[in-house]
Amino acid sequence: MSEPVTPTAEAPQRDDQPSTSPGNGGSAGAVSGADSTGSRIAKTVMLLIIFVWCLFPFVWLISTSLKQGNEALGDPNMFQGPFGIDNYRIVFGEGFLYNLRNTLVVATFTTIICVLIGAFAGYALARLPLKRKALWLSGVLAASLFPPVALIPALYEVWRALGLLNTYPGLYIPYVSFTLPLTIFILVTFFSSIPPELAEAAKVDGATPFQTFFRVVLPLAAPGVFAAAIIVFIFATNEFLIASTFAPRDLSVQTATTAVAFFTGATEFERPIGTITAACVVISVPLIIMTLIFQRRIVAGLTAGGVKG
Amino acid sequence: MAVETETPVTERQPEESQHKGMSERQLARVFVAPSVITMVVVAAFPIIFAIFLSLYAYQGRQQTGFAGLGNYIEAFTDPRFWDSVIATFVFTVASVTFEFLIGMGFALIMNRAFFGRGVIRATILIPWVIPTVISAQMWFNMFNITPGFVNSVLPFVPADFNWLGTENWAMFAIVFADVWKTAPFVALLLLAGLQTIPEDLYEAARVDGASAIQRFRSVTLPLLKPAILVALLFRTVDALRIYDLPAVMTGGAFGTETLSVLVQQFIVQTPDPGLGSAFSTLTFIVVLGVGIVFVSLLGRDLVIGEEE
Amino acid sequence: MDAESSTLSRCIRRGLVVRVTIAACALLISACSLPPPPGSQAAPDELVWAIGGAASNPGAVNEQIAELYKEQDSSRPTVRVEQLPNSADLQREQMAYESQAQGAGFDILGLDVIWTGEFAVNGWIESLEDIRGDLEGVVLDSAMASGTYENELWAAPFNTNAGFLYYRTDLVDEPPATWDELAQMAQEVGQREGIAGYVGQGSQYEGLVVNFLELVWGAGGGLINEDGDEAILTQNDAGTRALEFLQSARQDGVLAPGFNTMTEEEGRFLFQGGDAVFMRNWPYAYGLMSGEDEENPSQVAGNFDIAPIPTFTGEGTTSALGGFNLAVSAFSEKKDLAKEFVAWIATDADAQGLLAENATPPVRQATYDELQDDPVMALLGEILPDAQPRPPVPAYNFLSQEIQQVVFPAYNSSAPVEQTIESLNAELTSELQG
Repeated sequence: MSEPVTPTAEAPQRDDQPSTSPGNGGSAGAVSGADSTGSRIAKTVMLLIIFVWCLFPFVWLISTSLKQGNEALGDPNMFQGPFGIDNYRIVFGEGFLYNLRNTLVVATFTTIICVLIGAFAGYALARLPLKRKALWLSGVLAASLFPPVALIPALYEVWRALGLLNTYPGLYIPYVSFTLPLTIFILVTFFSSIPPELAEAAKVDGATPFQTFFRVVLPLAAPGVFAAAIIVFIFATNEFLIASTFAPRDLSVQTATTAVAFFTGATEFERPIGTITAACVVISVPLIIMTLIFQRRIVAGLTAGGVKG
Repeated sequence: MAVETETPVTERQPEESQHKGMSERQLARVFVAPSVITMVVVAAFPIIFAIFLSLYAYQGRQQTGFAGLGNYIEAFTDPRFWDSVIATFVFTVASVTFEFLIGMGFALIMNRAFFGRGVIRATILIPWVIPTVISAQMWFNMFNITPGFVNSVLPFVPADFNWLGTENWAMFAIVFADVWKTAPFVALLLLAGLQTIPEDLYEAARVDGASAIQRFRSVTLPLLKPAILVALLFRTVDALRIYDLPAVMTGGAFGTETLSVLVQQFIVQTPDPGLGSAFSTLTFIVVLGVGIVFVSLLGRDLVIGEEE
Repeated sequence: MDAESSTLSRCIRRGLVVRVTIAACALLISACSLPPPPGSQAAPDELVWAIGGAASNPGAVNEQIAELYKEQDSSRPTVRVEQLPNSADLQREQMAYESQAQGAGFDILGLDVIWTGEFAVNGWIESLEDIRGDLEGVVLDSAMASGTYENELWAAPFNTNAGFLYYRTDLVDEPPATWDELAQMAQEVGQREGIAGYVGQGSQYEGLVVNFLELVWGAGGGLINEDGDEAILTQNDAGTRALEFLQSARQDGVLAPGFNTMTEEEGRFLFQGGDAVFMRNWPYAYGLMSGEDEENPSQVAGNFDIAPIPTFTGEGTTSALGGFNLAVSAFSEKKDLAKEFVAWIATDADAQGLLAENATPPVRQATYDELQDDPVMALLGEILPDAQPRPPVPAYNFLSQEIQQVVFPAYNSSAPVEQTIESLNAELTSELQG
């Protein structure tokens, strides 16, 4: 699929809120009505492609999770019944609610902590005087690159000694460490796209460096903060390796992805695809709702801030 | 003025200016401290431990003595290692290329969408939201000859086409599954970047008579460069470390055994802590090398206030 | 700086922060209001039995057996089934972590038959020599062998498994006695009916090793010698014959398309849908293909039967031995009690009977005599005495990996068979000799 460069000269509509710069809307410039329609159709088609791309496998997931019985699950036809909510009943029958709660708690803590200290570090790396920044950036990156599976044995021993196994901090501390690099990099990018003049102006107005950061710069980097937050949250809900090793069976800490590894079929060799897809739908739906909410915030934060060129 | 220091427990600078709160230099150190501490404890220590382990010889799980570079020599002379390097690079190049092309396309479309914007943005995250272990199983189910979903949906493919059991097509299936999941993620990163580009610049370019493609090249791309590089950086290092998809979909068969699958083999399935750690370290070096290349490309544009 | 936009942004930020905080608090409150999960308090005098698989689900046969233990004699300790993940690798990993940490969390470990040597050599399990006397003669000899390492009993048999040849009675009169016969019949009938000839386990995993070894044993060969220091795949040219069979079966179209991605279930789907003439699979498939379950219709119900797996000579049969053994953790604080349970479970008629009722082959010899009427039990009783365990040496995992890495690409290509087997054999030998 090649990059769709839209042929129209129509100015892009920014969002629900009116943009602060003039000259928007309608088809500015020399375009005929036919071009508009053509481009509209093209755009609609593109949007449909995006919808299908993203949604289709999810629809497959839902349909598979509603299938019951060997035959339905073995049949490629999405509409082959019988259908029912047995799989969901099975999933919740084994305490999946606890797993959901645990995932929520761990992911929330991870996101808040990671975004917080990541924003601090990102700002320091982007705007504050610090020696050898390239080294810091490389170090931050390097810390996340080692294959996690090789780190687990050593970390397990440390965690056991510290009594962190089967606890919430035992999970969210490693999660924070694994998501910090991406968070820091995203926020460094955003912080550096904010013109230094703003910070200068704040200094002139008498703000301390910290106030400059907290009141002036941080709000403008809101889109980056929320993008990073979403990424971290999703990483924490989807993570399996650490969760299954450090909190394998204790229901008061076991996360949803770990629980899925315990699903079995009715017989010994069966792949429990029905219950697995049901669990997946249950995990995903709240996440999707949540992202729907947060998406608006990203844009709202942006247009209000109004970065001037 | 009251100084708000909401940072968690960190090193305290001995003298803080009474009037202006912390200076920029002090603030920088305080800000960086929590991240550094976390990563040192969780990452640095186990990494060093793993590298340390790689210098010892093992028989199964029992340590049999100091091996020096013996494990590394064994790794370098094992054709399986080189096969996995090739598989990893093939996968990475293919996957990152396609996810960028497609992701950029999505981002451009979403940037200019005129209806249902919120819905689209939520939709775009659905692939990303599904846990990897599950999406791997999902794609396995779809591509596998039994039940043969993909075969039944694509009209020009025979019902018994064995995607996962044929050389090269197995890799295609894995790349496809990965691009499906990550193109939207790239689109999100690029979209956030696109939206920081002020309208006025496009206006000015249009007034100057630039065509859409020229506007893209002269306005969009340069201002998007940091976002592109960050996205490229993380997608590349992630692709180099891919594990779930090949492990679940093919088990590493038909040239799809990537470095992470190989590492997993020797750490978990047939544990040899020495050799497994050696493979891990080699993987780390490869991935780090690539990462550093990107960081050096990124570095200049990004940071202000650098001191010599 | 634009005062208006900074105020606006502050308001939005505050509003958002407030909203998010409220939502987070609400969620956390509701989360905390969940009652403590069941099973989170460990009773002091119970034995923890760590085992995975479908049989370990709440209410399934393992739990039933554990309850039976207490029912029979209330002075016995309670046995609690601690379910492990579904995949064998994850089960092993969780037991390994617990053992490496020398934790007393598990008393009884459910070990796959191929893990005996590894767990013994790592010092993770107790020797069961003192209960050998209770088991010998009562329990199948081949199962005992799978729990023995270096002439010491480390894991007591619990349940077992052996491979069957499933064949279509409406298409084939007599089951083939040799592999060559099977290939020929499969090709003829398959082409005639437009279905696949033979399905088995051909994906790159342990199942492939099982299938391959069955061919090797059927050719009079073996995997390792008595002393355990040499690989004997080249004995009687067995390895070559086995690989050759697979390769030519694939080339001639005897193997079903997709054979090389098949595990047990994929093969069963195909056969159950009427799309294969022969299938090599475990006994569990028999009941599933009977068509009794509405949600699991079978196109072959009533039209298939089971037979021993063929060999190359037509004489005898050799199936691989599967199943689970039970070991006592070396770090358990209740070793004697655990050993009693382990000895009981292998020899008690009711416990083993429960297994048989749940389509799991028992290890108690007498149970087979009692259940002669059931076709599956009857055939099992016939072939189990000759079933071969995969050698439970500590290096087995490495051996299996090596075989997978070599045999899988070899049968999927035109690699020279004899050379491949010879180099594989050399590699395995060097691995065994450390």
